[in-house]
Amino acid sequence: MVSRYELLRKLSAIIPDEVIVVACIANTSGFWGQLSQREADLLHITMGMCTPTALGVALALPSRKVIALDGDGNLLLNLGSLGTVANQNPPNLTIVVFDNGNYLGSHKKEPGMPTATGGKTNLEGVAKASGIVSACTVSSVDDFQRNVEAALSNAGPHFIVAKIAALDDDRPPRTRRVLDPRENKYRFVNHIQKTEGVEILGSGLGKWS
Amino acid sequence: MKPAKAKLVIDGMKEAGINFSVGVPDAQFIEVYRMVSRDRDIHYVGAANEGEAAGIAMGAWFGGKRPALIIATSGLLVATYHLARINLLHEVPIVVLVPFRGDLGDPRWMGMYQKTTEPALRAMDIPYRVVNQSADIVRTIKECSESARAWLRTVAVLFTGEALW
Repeated sequence: MVSRYELLRKLSAIIPDEVIVVACIANTSGFWGQLSQREADLLHITMGMCTPTALGVALALPSRKVIALDGDGNLLLNLGSLGTVANQNPPNLTIVVFDNGNYLGSHKKEPGMPTATGGKTNLEGVAKASGIVSACTVSSVDDFQRNVEAALSNAGPHFIVAKIAALDDDRPPRTRRVLDPRENKYRFVNHIQKTEGVEILGSGLGKWS
Repeated sequence: MKPAKAKLVIDGMKEAGINFSVGVPDAQFIEVYRMVSRDRDIHYVGAANEGEAAGIAMGAWFGGKRPALIIATSGLLVATYHLARINLLHEVPIVVLVPFRGDLGDPRWMGMYQKTTEPALRAMDIPYRVVNQSADIVRTIKECSESARAWLRTVAVLFTGEALW
């Protein structure tokens, strides 16, 4: 079975610089942080918040493509967010769910307890029934690449379930420290301010500045 | 809730520069939800869950919007994990607008929220103001928004029944 790391490595090779990535916590952010030093990366988004946060970014910046790198356990915590995505219908949003069927977290030696997708739940079916028309399931690097590239080239929202190995024993070497959430916030916000011409951070100097 | 009181909440959001809102509707603030969902200056997203709503609001801030989260006192409890992460870990400014059920004088069985609302905000280190008079609604939303932006903190405004009805 394909690994999370293989798919992230492929994504890092094909993703255009201007595409915004919103990554969920644990190994997805940890691995992506080793592969990428892009300023358009927003990392460490916690359980239940990755797809909602990506939706907020996509709605705020309709001219930018946004990819959520979500997980099955993470998404299942706020599964209703798929209905919100469908009804808001942002054409610039692609949701990738790395579905390993268990609550792995950052465990290294054995899978965690099963998620609902480790049982009977089919996230592609949930997404379609929630109103997201463009939804698919992939299980190889080639299919992943083809569907991500198609998603970035066509109006969405898109939903891609990537079935991955239960255990992340294929992982990148730690060659750098991944930014913590606050460092990452400032880097990301400065990038958006610079590229979009918006003022996000206040000076804190008040109305007399 | 009288439309004129709801309009004060919308006016306060506009005075504060808020241009993005997310909520999970409740009966006490229904006129606010109706007005904001029709407003051309404030994008409104109706979410299924207050934690999800908090995430959407955070994302909108990262995209350059000034977001408000409009939720009930019950919803504040639902959103605590997400708001705690947003306020304590990411340090992102969101203005949270809450009709304060359970304030003394509330005639319904909402007393539990008197026990939970302010302690929950304090536990999440979210500064807040309680608005008791409708004349203070606009100014308070504006002031809380300004502080949220300067401090990079989530800030809440609680509106009592006295201010809203």
